[in-house]
Order: sequence, then C-alpha cells, then structure tokens
Amino acid sequence: MKIRGVFIEDTFAEAFTMRVARIIITGHSSRWVRAAALKLTGFATSVIGCKVEAGVERELHARETPDGRPGTSILLMTMGKDDLAKRLVERIGQTVLTCPTTACYDGLPDAPDRVGVGSALRFFGDGFQMSKVVGGVRFWRIPVMEGEFLVQEKFGMLKGVAGGNFLILARNAEAALGAAEAAADSMASQPGTILPFPGGVVRSGSKVGSLRIKSMIASTNDAYCPTLRAITKTALPESVNSVLEIVVNGVDAPSIASAMRTGIDAACRDGVVAISAGNYGGKLGPHHFHLRQVMEGAGG
Amino acid sequence: MSGGLVARLKGPLRQQADFSEVLAGPWTTLSAVELARRPVFLQRDGQTPLGDLFDLKGEPRGQIRFLGDLAMADRLGAGLSEGEVAVEGDVGSEAGLALSGGSLDIDGDAGPRAGAAPPGFKRGMTGGELIVRGSAGGEAGAAMRRGLVVIVKQAGARTGVGMIAGNVVVFGPTGADPGLWAKRGTVIALGRITPPATYVYACTFQPVYLRLLLTRLRIRYGLPVRPRHLNGFYRRYSGDMAELGKGEILAWTAR
Repeated sequence: MKIRGVFIEDTFAEAFTMRVARIIITGHSSRWVRAAALKLTGFATSVIGCKVEAGVERELHARETPDGRPGTSILLMTMGKDDLAKRLVERIGQTVLTCPTTACYDGLPDAPDRVGVGSALRFFGDGFQMSKVVGGVRFWRIPVMEGEFLVQEKFGMLKGVAGGNFLILARNAEAALGAAEAAADSMASQPGTILPFPGGVVRSGSKVGSLRIKSMIASTNDAYCPTLRAITKTALPESVNSVLEIVVNGVDAPSIASAMRTGIDAACRDGVVAISAGNYGGKLGPHHFHLRQVMEGAGG
Repeated sequence: MSGGLVARLKGPLRQQADFSEVLAGPWTTLSAVELARRPVFLQRDGQTPLGDLFDLKGEPRGQIRFLGDLAMADRLGAGLSEGEVAVEGDVGSEAGLALSGGSLDIDGDAGPRAGAAPPGFKRGMTGGELIVRGSAGGEAGAAMRRGLVVIVKQAGARTGVGMIAGNVVVFGPTGADPGLWAKRGTVIALGRITPPATYVYACTFQPVYLRLLLTRLRIRYGLPVRPRHLNGFYRRYSGDMAELGKGEILAWTAR
C-alpha cells in the first residue's frame, strides 16, 4: 500500500489496556485553564517512568462545561485501578487545587467504576469544607485563600487503550519533523484520544528490555536508530535518515484507529519514505492496529 | 411534564384536606386504579379515597400531574421518595413535608412549612427537590438535612429555620430571620434578604458551585436564572453563630 508515494508497511501497532479517567477543568479564563492543564499533564508521557500517561483531549467552550466557564478535557491513564485514584488525587491536588479560579469535574459520568477524588482532597479544608449535592452528584467546596475550590467527589474510570503508534521513516530530520508536526496537529482534536508525548511526538522509541542490562525494562529501539544502521540489526530502508514516532492513547480502540488514520494520512508527504509501527510480536498487548487495515477504514 | 398520570380535581375542595399518605412511599409503579385507593383525610368528612376527589388517568411512568385548585390541600407530596410530581396551581401547608427523593414542582404558591420537618421531628427533608414557582409561606425547608428547596417569588419568615444541610434558593425577597438556628446548609438569596443578627458577614465572592446549581435550575426546571446570577457576586454570611455556625447565607449583590 502507498499513500501519495509513501509506503505503508504491512505491520501493526501493539497497544495495551490501561485505566482512564477524564478530567474536566474549568476556570475564569482560558489562561488559567491552560495553566492548570499544563501542570496536570506535565511529566506524564509514559508509565515506564512517570506512573501516568496524560494529555489534553480538547479545549471546551464555556457552553460545554458544567459551570459555564471555559474549560479543557484531559485524559489521565494508569496501569491499575488503585493507581488511578492515587494519581488523580496527587495531581489534581497539586496542580488544579493550587491554580487560581479553577474547578475540577468528572468527565465520565456514565462510567460504573468510580474512584474518590474530592472525597480525599476535601481534607485539605481542615474541617471547613462543605459538601453540596447538585442533581444527585456530590461536590466539595474547599475553602482556599482566593475563595473556594470546587471538586467533584468521585470520578469515573474506564478501561482505555494506550500505546497506539506509528513510525514516520523519513529521508532527513527536517522531513521527519515536518511530517510528525502535521500528524500531531491533525490528531490534536480527535475525540477520545490524547498524544501524551511532547508535542505529540516521540524521538526515543523503545524496545522491551535491554541487550546488556537485565534490570532495564526498556531501552532504545536500536533497529530504528539511523546512526546504528551499520552495527545493529536495522529495520530501516537505505534512504531513511531520521525516524519519529507518534503515540496515541484513548478511551477505546476505535478512537485510536480513527486518530491513527488521520495522523498517518497527514504524515504521508514529501520526504517521508515509509510508515511503520511498533510492536512486540503481538504477544504483549491485546490491541493490534494493522496499519493497512486502519488506512482502509477498518482495524482497531 | 408530559405523560404520566393526570389527577384532575372533580370538584372544588371545600374543606382542608390532608394528602400526606397519597404519595408517601413507593408509588411510581402503581396504576391509576391503585393510586386512587390511597386515602385523603378531609377535615370534616374524614377519610376518603383519592379517587373520590380526582379523576386519575394515564400510566404512571414515574410522573403525576395534579390539576385543580388545591389551595386547601395540605401535605401534598409529604414523604415523597421518588418520581416527579407537578401541581398546576396553589397548594396548602406543608407541601413536600419530609421529602426524601424525587421532585415536587408547584406551579403556584405554597402555604407555610413547605419542605419542612414534621412536627416534633428533628430532621426535615433528606433529599429530593421542591420547586415553588410562586411564593411560599413561613418556615420553608425547616430543619432540612439534604435536598433542595426553590422559591421563585417571595419566601416567608424563617425560611430554612434550623437547617442541618441542603440548599434553599429564593429568587424573590426573603422574609425575616432566614436560616435562623441553622447548623449547616445554605440559603441563597437572589432577591432582598436581611440576615439574622446571629449571622456574620465573611466576604463577597463568586461561588463556583452556584453556577452549577443555578445552571441546573435553568436547564432542568426552566427557572428564571439570569446572567447576573451566574456571573455575579455574593455576600457570604456565616451562621447561625448561636448554633454550629457552619451554615451560610449567600446574598446576591450588585457590588
């Protein structure tokens, strides 16, 4: 398969099941919403080192938010249920509670699994907090120096999918970066998905384990490093001199497939030789996104 | 509200009538015939089935609408725990007494002690939503523990007296001594209000939770929430200092 002259390899992206929460942050203005979102989703690229993967799903117009103020929707993912509750409390407590004018709501009201967030953060109120039930949903009003921080008591949790990906194999670094930027831009507003890495792009794709150090769970994906072409078992065609990866997480497999389709299509441009994907032979992750099926509108 | 049961008053009520057992406990799955057997207590004539006073038609589906002049109907919706109840007109005293769930939406005035605790009980409402689109008599929401009381026009004296928690929203002027002896809970005044002397002014601020609550009232019940209510400032008074002091009156202000 070729798209605008770019070869789509007959391979698949291998993705994993993770727990996901959707966090809605609102604030007095977009400035403060973004400030909180930036901190909340900071250092949250990969569970390997950050314990969570998080990103902004999309910005929300005031008419879309529970309190009628500007907002943003964030997906935050962890490997386990218990971990999700801990990370939500840590991150919302340190980055949203602290941010002027913000409030924080659950974005998965229909999810049957619930974890306590406001119910834990309320203790910051030192006994001065107030509980309010609005429309059958409990919120906590926590007094702060600025006024009040409003946070929903419980957040919904779903089984999401993490690690959808594709690799952009390009003739040079400039072409790889341009294609990756185009892909990330096109995927930025895909509903139900996030791109957890910086700017949506990864330059340091990893393989499982290490060739030399047994205790390492991940190390550089040497097969895709152009500088190692001569000294390792390379997976790169001759003309490729730079590779960038797009990683996409989401609430379900169809959302990821849709985002991958959009991103790959945008990445197929001058200077790009091929699109590939990262997998572990299909033995580790239950979700397989076959690139050619994805581009034909199926897959995932 | 469309659909559900319709209860149309056959003739004018000429004596006070106690409706406290009509909607108490489970009722949303009862047929019109079954509900018609529930008792109403007339002041002079004693007990009579609801069906003798009302024509009941339709399927319940969790909703009932009362039509007719019910100004002499006391304790309508008392003990309500489920479903949606609409009343097209005025009701007597103690509507929604000890409400614990569901909604009671009165498209007229309510007499004294709407949504209050039964006499001798320490706790009033423990849930549910009572909407009075007209004015309400004194002591609405007395001793409420949870839930919501909304009064669109004027609220009588001692609204929210002895509140333990919950919300009372008054769009119009609020009578004397609101929230007197409240332990917790919130009286939200969008109109004129004079807090009791045992409430202490704290600050003027914009409570975000009010945006949630008022937006819900606008969407769910079509109540006249204005942008100034959503975007405005509120004077917070803490009280009742003669009690626990964890209650509050939030009084809208034009600054």
